[in-house]
Order: sequence, then C-alpha cells, then structure tokens
Amino acid sequence: MSYFYFIWKSHRSFLLFSLIIISLFQFLILKLVTTIDYSAIIINLLEQMPEFVRTMFGEDFISMLTVDGAAAFGFNHPLVLVILSIGAIAIPSRHIAGEAETGTLELVLSFPVKRIRLLLNLYISAVVFLFLIIFCAFCSSILSIGIFHQLNFALFFKMLKIGCNLWLLFVSIMSLTMVLSSFEKEGNKVSIRVAGIVLVFYLLHYLSSWWETIQFTKPFNIFTYYQPEDLMTGQRSFLLNAVVLSSLILLCLLVSLFQFNRRDVPG
Amino acid sequence: MDTPPVISVSNLAKYYGSTRGVENINFTVGPGEIFGFLGPNGAGKTTTIRMLLDLLRPTSGEIYIFGRETYAHSLEIRKRCGYIPGNFSAYGHMTGDEFLRFVASMRKTEPGLQESLVARFQLSKDNLSQKVKHLSHGTLQKLGIVQAFFHQPDLLILDEPTIGLDPLMQEEFYRLLREIQNDGKTIFFSSHNLPEVEKVCRRIAIVREGELVALETLESLKKKKLKRLQFTLSRPVPGLDLPGADFVDQKDLSYVYRVKGDIQTLLQRLSTLPIKDLTFPEPDLEEVFMAYYRKEAQDPK
Repeated sequence: MSYFYFIWKSHRSFLLFSLIIISLFQFLILKLVTTIDYSAIIINLLEQMPEFVRTMFGEDFISMLTVDGAAAFGFNHPLVLVILSIGAIAIPSRHIAGEAETGTLELVLSFPVKRIRLLLNLYISAVVFLFLIIFCAFCSSILSIGIFHQLNFALFFKMLKIGCNLWLLFVSIMSLTMVLSSFEKEGNKVSIRVAGIVLVFYLLHYLSSWWETIQFTKPFNIFTYYQPEDLMTGQRSFLLNAVVLSSLILLCLLVSLFQFNRRDVPG
Repeated sequence: MDTPPVISVSNLAKYYGSTRGVENINFTVGPGEIFGFLGPNGAGKTTTIRMLLDLLRPTSGEIYIFGRETYAHSLEIRKRCGYIPGNFSAYGHMTGDEFLRFVASMRKTEPGLQESLVARFQLSKDNLSQKVKHLSHGTLQKLGIVQAFFHQPDLLILDEPTIGLDPLMQEEFYRLLREIQNDGKTIFFSSHNLPEVEKVCRRIAIVREGELVALETLESLKKKKLKRLQFTLSRPVPGLDLPGADFVDQKDLSYVYRVKGDIQTLLQRLSTLPIKDLTFPEPDLEEVFMAYYRKEAQDPK
C-alpha cells in the first residue's frame, strides 16, 4: 500500500465530495451566466440608479455577469475557498499533529522510513489531491464554456492561470499547516489555528480594499496574490503571484522538514 | 559479556525544558537476551524506549544499537527492530488486514510468517476485516504483536506488550518470546508487572523517577530479599524504636518491621522488650521491587 493510496483512503470521501461539488459549481455558474445575458439587463438597471448604488455594486459585480467574470468569480467564490481550505488544512494537520496525538506517528516512525521522506510523501500526496480537485474544476469550467459559449484560446489561457494561481494559494495554506503541524501535537489545535489565520487574511484582504488604514497589510496577505478578476482583466501579473506564493511554499516546506526531522515524537 | 552488546546505553539523559525525563541511565543488553526494564508508571521507561528508537532525541548521553549510534544510523537500526508501543494504536479507518498490509509495505516481511502469527494469536478473518476502531483492546494488542514480529526482527522493543491480552494469550506470547530468543534474537521487555518479567527475563533494570536504581540478574536480586520482622507485645511500649529496622505496619500490639541493618543489635534491643510472639516471615520478590519502587526506600539492599 503506497503512502499516496493510504492518504487517498483516509480522505477519499472528502476529496470526492470536494471534487464533485466544486466541479459542478463551476459548470453550473458558467452555464447560468452564458445562458441568459444578465449583464445587459443589470447594467441598464444600474444606470438608472443613483451614483452611490452604482459604486456599491462596483465593476467586479458587473464583470461577474460576463463569461470571463463568472469564470473568475467561480474560482473565487467563498464556497470553493472554504472547501479547498478544509482539504488543505485537514490533510497535514491530521497526518502530522493528529497522528502524534493518537500515537500512530510513533508507530510509523519506528518503521524503517526516513522522517523527511515521510513528510515529503505526505506533502506530495496533498499537493496532488489539491491539484486534482482544481484541475477537475478547471476542466468542468472549460467544458461548460465549450458547451454553452464560445471557448477561445485567450480565455482558456486566462483560466489556466487562475487555476494554477488557486492551486498555489492552497498549497501555500497547506504548507503553512505543515509548519504548524510539525511543531504541535494536537491536530485540532493546528486546524483551528490555521483556519483562524486564513480567515483573518481573507477578511483583511476585503477590508483593505476600501479601508485605507489597513492597506499596508496587503503585501503580507496571501489573498493579495490571488485575485482572479485581476488576472482575467490582465491588471495583475500571474508571474508575480506565482513567485511570491512559490517562495512562501518553499520556505514553509523547508521549515517543516527541518522541524519535523529534529522534533521529539510525543507519545 | 564476551560478544558485543546489542544495546549499549551510557549516561543517557532527557530533559523536557527544566523537567527531568530520565538521567544517568546506563545499561547494556547482550545478544539473545530478554532484558527486563521495570518501573512504575511515569518512571521513565517509555522515554528511554523512545530514545532507543530515535523517536526522542537525548539531551545527553549515547545509545548504540547493533554497535551503531542511533541518531546517525536510525534507519538501518529500525530495519532490524520490531516495536510494540505502550499504548499501541493503529489507523482507525483501516481494517485489520489493511493495517497489516500497510505495515508490510513499509517493511521487508517474511512470507508466511504473518499468517502463522495471525493464527497463533487467534485473529479471525472477522477480526481482520473489521475496522481497527471497532476492535477490542485485546484484539488491537494482538495486531500490535503481529506487526512487531512478522518481519523477524533481530531486536524487539516491547513496551508493556501484554496489556489487554487474556491469560492464555499472555502465555502464548511468553512462549513466542522464548522461541525467538532461542533463535538468537534480543528482546527489550519493558513492564511494570514483576511476575511477567520474572517469567521471561534473566536480567533486569529497575528505573524509578527517571533514574536506574538497580541493574542485575533476577537470581542476585532474589538473594537480596528483604527480611521482615513480625512481633506482638504483651503490653504497650512508648516510643518503640528498633535499630536496624524500618517500621512497616502496626495493628494493636502487633508490629511489622523491615530488617535492613545489623541483626545482632536488633536482637539485643528485642530482648529488652515484653515480646509475646515473634516471627521472621519470608518476604516475596515483589517486596524487593516495591522497596525499589517506593520513593521513601533509601537503600533497599
């Protein structure tokens, strides 16, 4: 039984659930937008509204009503972010800190397996699972656009970038969980802490878009490096996002490998 | 010991911050030996075992297994070790069979040995097809035994291995230990239960409050059996004090003391007392251990 299969067996219900829900969500949201042209109706309505109402809805809302906007919106919907967050947090926290708590980590580390190899196996498995979920969601979006709309290369390429960016964002969250897990011995504690950190980042990201006082937090917020609407409109460089998130991933991976290799395994 | 030891521990210490786990632990275990590691709960047995397996890193001291330093050659050593943790736990979502396959994928196992161990410890197909989380403690412990033995390790490190086993299975387990000892394998057997250690071990170490308080053969330990003195007085004696004996118990005018010093001085003192009845009952080995275990026992020898 390979370690990959072992992780799959441990989380298959949740992984299948996430894969189906997110893919279906992407498919339906693009079908909905492309079937009826809401944008023209809403834009007409908004033009008759007072200025402050138009500002309240903003460009993001309008862009969401187009195919490009809906694709970006789907990949940034709280439902998608929450489900992927659960997966990214649950796998490392359960298999490192959680297993330290239950005692199975002690048993596994008494087998002839290098600690670094064990952690890397887990890491790669989690990365692959996140990739599979996002890849299915991407394929589902492409399929939906292909069926209900005109798919062109530019849109395909933009969505590919958004998918990759989303994957990097959640690998970052998973890596952060890995770091905390390699220090802690209680899986739930790690999950709650990382979920709290992610939630704070998410709230700060939205608050900082209109609250000037906290805009200094933007460069330090992981959600700054994942803005699908900006990627779709070309306002932000994918390369910059990828470099920042990859650096964070690498740093977290190195810290967790170092700490896991030197830590005492609690009993 | 003529042959090089399988386990050699010297000046081992483990501190958790400022809290002492174990300190000044020194012992060796020879090839083909079943070495008993005794001590009450919290004495430092499991901490020592975890350091043997490189699960905990010592604060100071050295551990050599098969002549190799445990940290530098951890992987090589663990290939040749079998381990039953004190609180054995397996993945609850797996079936017993899946768990054994998982372990087998991590070790080079001996073909056929798993089946014979499964049969020997009466693990039924039903047991193995159930999820681990639904297994009874005893059945789970049997699974722990199978996973520790089925790759024919040269060294077995067993931390309270018989917990949860019924007496018949315990006997079967002791038989298995003797068999593999006859095959030249070494066993490090940790327990807080003296009778079971007596059954299989020839040499033992006793650990108390993180320190080794005895390291000898069972035979030599038996020679150190503590003498007890039991007497009944005909009338009360105020401020009764006996040189060379420690008070153990009193009921009305009947007293129990533990003899530890010069018997002549003690007899002289006894001759001055109004004694109605006097006996020197033979204590059992358990009492020797209890003396080592007790904090207040200054010098059980």
